[in-house]
Amino acid sequence: MNPIPTIIDSDAGIDDAIAIMLAAKLPQLKLVGVTSVAGNVGVDKTTHNCLRVLEFTGMDVPVYRGSAGPMFRQRVDAAFVHGADGLGGMDLPCHTHEVEGIKAWDYIYSEAVRWNGELQLIAIGPLTNLGMAFVKYPGLPKLLKRIVIMGGSASEGNDTPAAEFNIWADPEAADIVFCSGVPVHMCGLDVTMQAHLTPGEIDEIGKIGNPQSNFFRDVVQGILNFLSQFNFPGMHMHDPVAVLYAADDSMFKASPVGVRVETKGALTLGRTVTDLYSDAQWEKNAFIVTKIDRDAFVKKVFELMSKY
Amino acid sequence: MTERIPVILDGDPGHDDAIAWVLANASPLLDIRACTSVCGNQTIQKTSYNAMRIMTLINLHVPFAMGRPKPLVSEPIIAPTVHGVSGLDGPALPEPDFEPLPISAVELMAKVLRESADPVTIIPTGPLTNVAALLMLYPELKPKIARISLMGGGIYFGNWTPAAEFNILVDPEAADIVYKSDIPIIMAGLDVTEKALVFPEDFERIRAVGNPVAKVVAEWLDFFYGFHRSKGYAGAPVHDAVAVAAIIKPEILDSKEYYVQIETTGDFCRGMTVADWYGYYHKAPNARVLTGIRREAFIDLLVEAVTYYNQEEK
Repeated sequence: MNPIPTIIDSDAGIDDAIAIMLAAKLPQLKLVGVTSVAGNVGVDKTTHNCLRVLEFTGMDVPVYRGSAGPMFRQRVDAAFVHGADGLGGMDLPCHTHEVEGIKAWDYIYSEAVRWNGELQLIAIGPLTNLGMAFVKYPGLPKLLKRIVIMGGSASEGNDTPAAEFNIWADPEAADIVFCSGVPVHMCGLDVTMQAHLTPGEIDEIGKIGNPQSNFFRDVVQGILNFLSQFNFPGMHMHDPVAVLYAADDSMFKASPVGVRVETKGALTLGRTVTDLYSDAQWEKNAFIVTKIDRDAFVKKVFELMSKY
Repeated sequence: MTERIPVILDGDPGHDDAIAWVLANASPLLDIRACTSVCGNQTIQKTSYNAMRIMTLINLHVPFAMGRPKPLVSEPIIAPTVHGVSGLDGPALPEPDFEPLPISAVELMAKVLRESADPVTIIPTGPLTNVAALLMLYPELKPKIARISLMGGGIYFGNWTPAAEFNILVDPEAADIVYKSDIPIIMAGLDVTEKALVFPEDFERIRAVGNPVAKVVAEWLDFFYGFHRSKGYAGAPVHDAVAVAAIIKPEILDSKEYYVQIETTGDFCRGMTVADWYGYYHKAPNARVLTGIRREAFIDLLVEAVTYYNQEEK
């Protein structure tokens, strides 16, 4: 099978950085470009982080700057989780490449045209860039194969009890994406909360011994420390789940569902409202990923990091 | 014998309300002080008529009064797809052998509370319109309410819409008042009631008990399961009976305490019961959310309840 031409849209971000490192070693993916977006931290920082991480993987992949904030709202961030620079203060070498001269949404459209229906988007931050692209290019939906996102939850939220961060950060953009007509594969908290690595497993990854694996171990220590207050068994690999799913969904379970995003609720702003079985019988515009084989997942992460 | 628990049954019958009342009336633990109707599964005329037919069938002669024709703020929503045109389609039922009291459901509830020496448990199995109106109109009677064991909501998903369960969706403003009341709430939501499945072979166990009430209950289940079978259910989820089981047989249920709020706004989430699962709002829990049920024990409870009506025949 030919590798799938893929753009990653990212607010890098600690788990974004890991997702990009894994994507670089997945033979099923042909990473053609990365677009940055404001999310975990501001867009200047996420752009810088995308450049640094890509160079660290040894890939020669261009980076396009995206939106500095949500489509209609004030920006919110998650620096308290990812550190002020978005990468937990890790000392990655500075990049030598520079960001490209066109905007993320224009780039996404040009690649979609170029690949004529084969392009896959993996969005692991707020969905602002995709929302902008769909608003600007009405012909875009027909040119995309599918969109895999890390975002949302049909059960518990994390930013609020009802909403997950990436969707909550730009709910209108997210609803535009779900209504775009392109199949959206939702790797939300329903599945990513099953995909944790224990502190012991993270140490083992470090022991693989290459610089990328050492970085993997070191960059997550802040989050591990942050998460320890919630009695979680380890760190959830939210964004890597979306990348692994986009490459090979055989270790996952997914079902077709209807999803809309609540953009007005007082308590439920940013909720991915998921119609699993209700009498409303929404049109099935998405696939919700509900299960991952954690053992296979851990093995895959080790295998990919050993390729460095 | 221990003191019986004084209760008010408030419902919108409805097949599962009907079975909940059959269960409550059969329990030696409960002292039913009144029944009230609310609009929900069907119009207030139909749910009231159904309530009186049920009470006549099971020989439950306690004061009864009708609720208001509409939710507090919004327009009524009815569920004929689930319960039929009458709201209680299926077996023939006796005509009511009594009249409703000439006072409103809320006034009757207030009267019961005022006259009771002990705090009363309210078991609402429909929208929370009457209970909210009671709290607004007679705030001084709040200490006379021991707890509210309700069927409504679902902390992860709805049924009428993806986010909202029917009873809460019909009157979210009322539910909001109830959940903010500081009265202890036991929430039999979809989290547990979707597990309270009565399988077709259980219908036969109930039918085989043989008395008139048992036969009617089995036929209600036949009808009620029709809708659910078309949706792929292995049995009929007898939602409302769980709110009664929570009082008379709490040991068969699992629960977790949460601070639960009602979403009253939103394009898609109106009527959602939002549980604060990780302490985001820094509030003490206001509801004991039922999460699991020993299904076999629940079926035994229903069979035992219809068996009670053997003695009624003598």
